[in-house]
Amino acid sequence: MPLFSRLVSLWKKETLALMRDRHALAALFAMPAIFILVMSLALADTDAFSGKDSAAIHYTLLDLDKSRASAALEARLGNTPFSGKHPPPADTEAARRQIQAGETAFALLIPQGYGQQIVARQTPVLQLLVDPTLPHALREGFYRQVEAAHIRVSVLLALGTPEKAPAPPGAATTPMAEFEAPALAVEAVGHGDAAPPAPPSAVQQNVPAWLIFSMFFVVIPISAIFIGERQHGALQRLATQRVSFGLILAGKFLPFLLINQIQAVLMVGVGRWLVPLCGGEALILPQSAAALAALWLVSLAVSTAAVGWALFIASLAKSSEQATVLGGVGNILMGAVGGIMVPRFVMPAAMQPWTRLSPMDWALEGFHQVMLRNGGISDTLPAAAALAAFGLAALALAWLRQAARKT
Amino acid sequence: MIRLENLRYRYRPDRPWALDGVSFDIPRGSICGLLGPNGAGKTTLIALLSGLMTPQEGRMTLDKQASIAVVPQDYAFYPMLSVAENLDFFAGVQGCSRRERRARCAKALAFACLETVARRRAGELSGGLRRRLNLAIALTGAPETLLLDEPTVGVDPQSRHFLLAAVRRFAEAGGTVLYASHYMEEVEAVCSDVVIIDQGRTLVSGPLDAIRRDHARGLTLALSAPPPETLMTGWQARFPEMTAAGKALHFPRIATDGLAFLFAELAAAGVDAERVAYGAPDLEQMFMQLTRHALRD
Repeated sequence: MPLFSRLVSLWKKETLALMRDRHALAALFAMPAIFILVMSLALADTDAFSGKDSAAIHYTLLDLDKSRASAALEARLGNTPFSGKHPPPADTEAARRQIQAGETAFALLIPQGYGQQIVARQTPVLQLLVDPTLPHALREGFYRQVEAAHIRVSVLLALGTPEKAPAPPGAATTPMAEFEAPALAVEAVGHGDAAPPAPPSAVQQNVPAWLIFSMFFVVIPISAIFIGERQHGALQRLATQRVSFGLILAGKFLPFLLINQIQAVLMVGVGRWLVPLCGGEALILPQSAAALAALWLVSLAVSTAAVGWALFIASLAKSSEQATVLGGVGNILMGAVGGIMVPRFVMPAAMQPWTRLSPMDWALEGFHQVMLRNGGISDTLPAAAALAAFGLAALALAWLRQAARKT
Repeated sequence: MIRLENLRYRYRPDRPWALDGVSFDIPRGSICGLLGPNGAGKTTLIALLSGLMTPQEGRMTLDKQASIAVVPQDYAFYPMLSVAENLDFFAGVQGCSRRERRARCAKALAFACLETVARRRAGELSGGLRRRLNLAIALTGAPETLLLDEPTVGVDPQSRHFLLAAVRRFAEAGGTVLYASHYMEEVEAVCSDVVIIDQGRTLVSGPLDAIRRDHARGLTLALSAPPPETLMTGWQARFPEMTAAGKALHFPRIATDGLAFLFAELAAAGVDAERVAYGAPDLEQMFMQLTRHALRD
């Protein structure tokens, strides 16, 4: 009980001190809310992910036909700006799993009898599995490439030279107008039975990314308060009162975790209600209780990571200026590497594996699992666990840093 | 009772010792002044006594480690909290029950005469009130020993007077005090004991009166001309502690027969003594003699 009452004293002090610090409050709440609002509105009419470098967007292809036509289609797609580097999946389920894991953006399934249908002048149905996190423009780009490749294969087949063009002079020709695009059966691959939402809007794409970025910026007020306490001697005074540094960290962790959660709710609220009031699109939140619980789990894990990181930076820095530089630059690097500023799928292929190193990428993955792939708690667990582990490791490092400072 | 025996501490293995064999006793219920030039090791010593750091060599015997409180030179409290909230926090974080916390806070408020400003934010207080809050916070732990590190820096004479009286009251109630300061007159006014340290070493320690008595036979002379070389050679052999700077001479200890000898020799050499000071030096003179005059920063 004494330990708990000591913690309560620390929590109360932390909350009172923060609630009366107008600058810290502004940094914690007003700035991120304005940031989310401005970014959502600024990007509302643009598709930031318009596939300028679609070479880095991977697709995989499952050929169930094994015909000359299907081989020709695969060869044609290989000449498009999209990159089909992933090994072909064993079956449709394996293709789904690749998309759910974020390993590939599209999976094209060429059905049995594809070649015969072309010869018979029937319209084949090509099944296309799509990562629901992809924006509309990228999806359309890929659809058009598939259609174009199919028409070309149909023409060449009709000319009797599916892999060689053009046909010899005088050969029988068929008017192009008779060749139709294939029917594309597009399926956005989410989790569970519910259909994933329509292609995400700019708000749907941006709010989770900037929410994560803003939540990590809790490093600035936390480190300012922490360093102030150290510089004014309050921390030393607590140490002379036999208050361990571990207890001080615990005393800071919970209030800031709660504040970070309020921040998250506020920013989601901005995306959901304020952005549409200002002419933007509303953020769509999951409806089911399970999905909302999964969303909260990810958000809690992000807060754990952000507060742990902030306390580590605060223990490392000797002044507020140093903390601002270390924390700010660290956040920008994590954001840049982690796909916050530039989504992972439009990064160069060589860069994409590096995104996995950033906690912000894990956080984005967690939010996308819920908000774009209809995932539940089990789908968000890997990202949440990684974020929580990062936060706790950062706290441990903060504690070790203090122990080293004492000796 | 606090007993330090040959205490040594250094911040890094490749750095000189910040404390290099410090030894002294502080009797229970006494106020001991801790004096030393900047960089002498006072802050390190307070950090060791308060448990912030652990001595690397030597022994430290304290009556009851848990009942030591520090009044730091900084305003070590939360400016956003009120005076009462600060006291409540620092009492609470030590694990006091709510009832005990209230009692201790009320006592600390009364001790430092802060009742009228209890609801004011600490950041809005004057320098004197901040110093009093700094002291009051230390009392929330009901300590038996107070370590005060320059507790009167930047306050007006009234506040200083109040703080010194408060320190005396604490000692009169049975508390032990280590009072680090650069203000000699404060140390002379409140301390029964004194420790002077320099370059990490104890120069002198013990009851202030006894130290004064030991230094009571000091002689300072201002001469009309520098004494002849032959005279100086003889004096240096007879009074090895003598120091000379031009026409000024100082003899830390000299008996009455020594005085007669000196003046006879001066008269024979035709040198007049323009100013003579003999007897107990004040604390500042004693401090300067012991620590030398050179600047430390």
